[in-house]
Amino acid sequence: MQIKFIFTFLLFTSIVFGQNSENLVPKDAASVFSINNISLFQKISLDELIKYEFMEEVQQELFDGSTSGKTLKDTGFDFNQKFNVFYGNGDDYEVSGFTFGITDKAKLFDVFDDFQPMESEYPGVEFYVSYFNRIAIKGNAGILYRVTPNDRFVNDITDSVWYANGNEYPWYNDYYDGIDWNEFDYEEAEEIEFFDEMEIEENTSNPIDIEDEELPAATEDPTEKTYYEFRDSIELMLQLQFLKKVNDELFLQGINLMSSDNRFATRLSNTAEGTFYIDNSRTIRKDYDIRYMRLHYPSLYNDLYEVYKDNLITGELTITTNSVEMHMDANYGDKLGSIYEKLTDTKFDKNFFKYVHKDNSGFFTYRVNLRAAYEQAYDVIVPILEREAENTNDMSYSLLVLEIMDEFLNKDAIFDTYKGGMFASYSGIKKVKTKKVVFDYDEETFEYTEQTVEAEEDMPIFTTGFSTDRSDIASKLLARICKISPNWTKHANYIEIENGMLNSASLYLIVNEGIFIITNDEQLAINNPKGFGANALSKTIQKKALKSGVSYAYIDLGKAIETLPKNLFSDRENQLIDVTRGKTGSLEFTSSGTSRNKTSFNLTYNFEGEYDNSGTYILDLINSLYVIAK
Amino acid sequence: MKWNLFIACVLIVFSFSSCIEILDDLTLNNDGSGTFKYSINLSSSKVKVNSLLALDSLDGKKVPSIDDISLKIKEVVSQLKESNGISNVQMESNYTDFIFKIQFDFSSLKNLQEAVVSIVKSESKGTNYKEIESRWLTFDDDKLVRSIPQITIEKANQFKKEDADLLRLGSYTSITRFERDVVSFENSDAKQAKNNRAVMLRANAYSLTQNPSLLDNTIYLVKEQ
Repeated sequence: MQIKFIFTFLLFTSIVFGQNSENLVPKDAASVFSINNISLFQKISLDELIKYEFMEEVQQELFDGSTSGKTLKDTGFDFNQKFNVFYGNGDDYEVSGFTFGITDKAKLFDVFDDFQPMESEYPGVEFYVSYFNRIAIKGNAGILYRVTPNDRFVNDITDSVWYANGNEYPWYNDYYDGIDWNEFDYEEAEEIEFFDEMEIEENTSNPIDIEDEELPAATEDPTEKTYYEFRDSIELMLQLQFLKKVNDELFLQGINLMSSDNRFATRLSNTAEGTFYIDNSRTIRKDYDIRYMRLHYPSLYNDLYEVYKDNLITGELTITTNSVEMHMDANYGDKLGSIYEKLTDTKFDKNFFKYVHKDNSGFFTYRVNLRAAYEQAYDVIVPILEREAENTNDMSYSLLVLEIMDEFLNKDAIFDTYKGGMFASYSGIKKVKTKKVVFDYDEETFEYTEQTVEAEEDMPIFTTGFSTDRSDIASKLLARICKISPNWTKHANYIEIENGMLNSASLYLIVNEGIFIITNDEQLAINNPKGFGANALSKTIQKKALKSGVSYAYIDLGKAIETLPKNLFSDRENQLIDVTRGKTGSLEFTSSGTSRNKTSFNLTYNFEGEYDNSGTYILDLINSLYVIAK
Repeated sequence: MKWNLFIACVLIVFSFSSCIEILDDLTLNNDGSGTFKYSINLSSSKVKVNSLLALDSLDGKKVPSIDDISLKIKEVVSQLKESNGISNVQMESNYTDFIFKIQFDFSSLKNLQEAVVSIVKSESKGTNYKEIESRWLTFDDDKLVRSIPQITIEKANQFKKEDADLLRLGSYTSITRFERDVVSFENSDAKQAKNNRAVMLRANAYSLTQNPSLLDNTIYLVKEQ
């Protein structure tokens, strides 16, 4: 009896006080980035940490100065526990935050000093609140989180109740109903002068005559809420309701991502420095088109969701003396897998390598069999559309168009012209010839004329090419265009489009040995239109690329990233590229063969020389993954 | 919104101004009337300007399209046409080589300066540039005093260091023409035309941002008969 009691007591205490941070990740989290060995990050300052986008949800707390000059070591975090950043956007609400282990609660609240304790309805759980953020502590693990109802859901409920109560459309203004528009003669209407400055009694040129005009009342009944006040109330109630749901699951029912998805639990058991879990089958639900489809074609949505289910990306990050290695598994269900399998059922085009210079700064290639993938996708999608077409005319029409195109388009010509395999290379910045206008002054009078002279400008040099079995179609079309377009000139081995690149420099097209190439590299087009020969890509890298599965990429960071002009990329793309700016070394991306349920990818990030803090490399990569996944 | 667009247009001109060439050409008649021409030549930065125009935004700011720029230019031109004492306004925009030229006649230097002040003020709503009110052109019978409006320098000083460094390759040329012969001038860097009726001053665009008085000049003419 005593032994039983001791056993029960130990079990209870291990559950309550031996809580691990990963057990506090809500089951609604669709993306989780876990850092296993957070001792790597001890040296990272909190100010540096909060610059990452994955910390944005808690920035209001961390930007208040309480983190100034402190490192993660000062937070009271338990470095023997995992640090898990999570984000999930379901149908009704969004949940985001991070979970962590705790060794020193006093230190923790030195940093999170805006959080105030609040009453807890859950035994063994302490709660703290700051605006919309909560901290819950169970045993020696904590979660900082925020639960926000989705705008669309709040709007739907607000509108529904608003109209049911007999209210008008909230943005409707009946002022215009009383106007007889025929009274206005638009041609003779006086021009009205508008002022941007705020109108006050002292400066107004049209003061409001209070005696003549009655001021409008806020509402007929001041105790009644306006639409927006009503919406705020709904939002608050929903937030509390969803918060309770998350808390109940975590702290009463023991439901969390670990317990509800063993794929997450399995990946987390890996001892690598970092792991990640991105459930694409859930993140896709937030896509606007998918939501539209769900509303208007619910059965089609269910069928397509069936195709997309099991779409999950998991992986881990491992840090060694001079490298960070990322292994990633892209998992998918049978139907999508059958398309991917066909898509990659082809070989690399070895001829690509001839057109990549050995001193390139970076290149990538992939092999794709578009024809096979199209046939497979057709076989998967058409039965779904047929089922839907029995219920809706819209879908019958779409199916009709699809079937007509499938029957009458010359698929052989299309897919033989563009087979799917392609490559691209970047050769850094080079001077290219352009033309500029200069003012030429006459010394007698200083009158001037415009002269066009040769000039040089810096230009990023790119080459891209794709495989084709129908070079004859491309050659025929290009020859015709050269006849009718004055800027297109046919040379013996290439076609030059004058000012084709950014309206400033020549762009070249080469059709050779079943490859169609587009480049602004004069060196390739004019001097080496049949390939670089002995100066082509090294055999070692060629072999690596051939051994890789569906794709291969290589970037010499020192050469490529620093020279890549920021203004060629969008803000979001720059955010991803910034990971590697200021660093030297190389990035190599390889993939395995694609099976019915999985494709694996590896990214090896070799850095050269000394590095101060390997933790920043991991955080940079995690942030990039977060930006992509969100 | 209007002001943001104006700022964006200015940014597009200056943020890639590695080889910007600015030319102002003032012809002054004996009665104080004259013609003012102003040209911006970005043809040697075509690649950069085109790549910038291909973007939606840069550093969080919207990059204006060619249509936006064209609309803004039209607004400035129509504002000039409505200014007192300003006539014969002509604008030439070359979006292939990115050369923009404007010229107009003025009845007096006062009218010219008021027109410029009016445009600057309307485009910089909410920002008070006191210096814009000061005169940077005065003509007194046989003496012309010229300087660069302070606002140009203030704007240039707001550039980021890397952008300001790019100005090192740019140039600013200022030409002043008269109906009478020039007797002398105070700026030792200035050059006199062989026909004695024009004075030219050239400065590096970056040096000008560091030392605005580089293009200051006082020109003395022969007395009017």
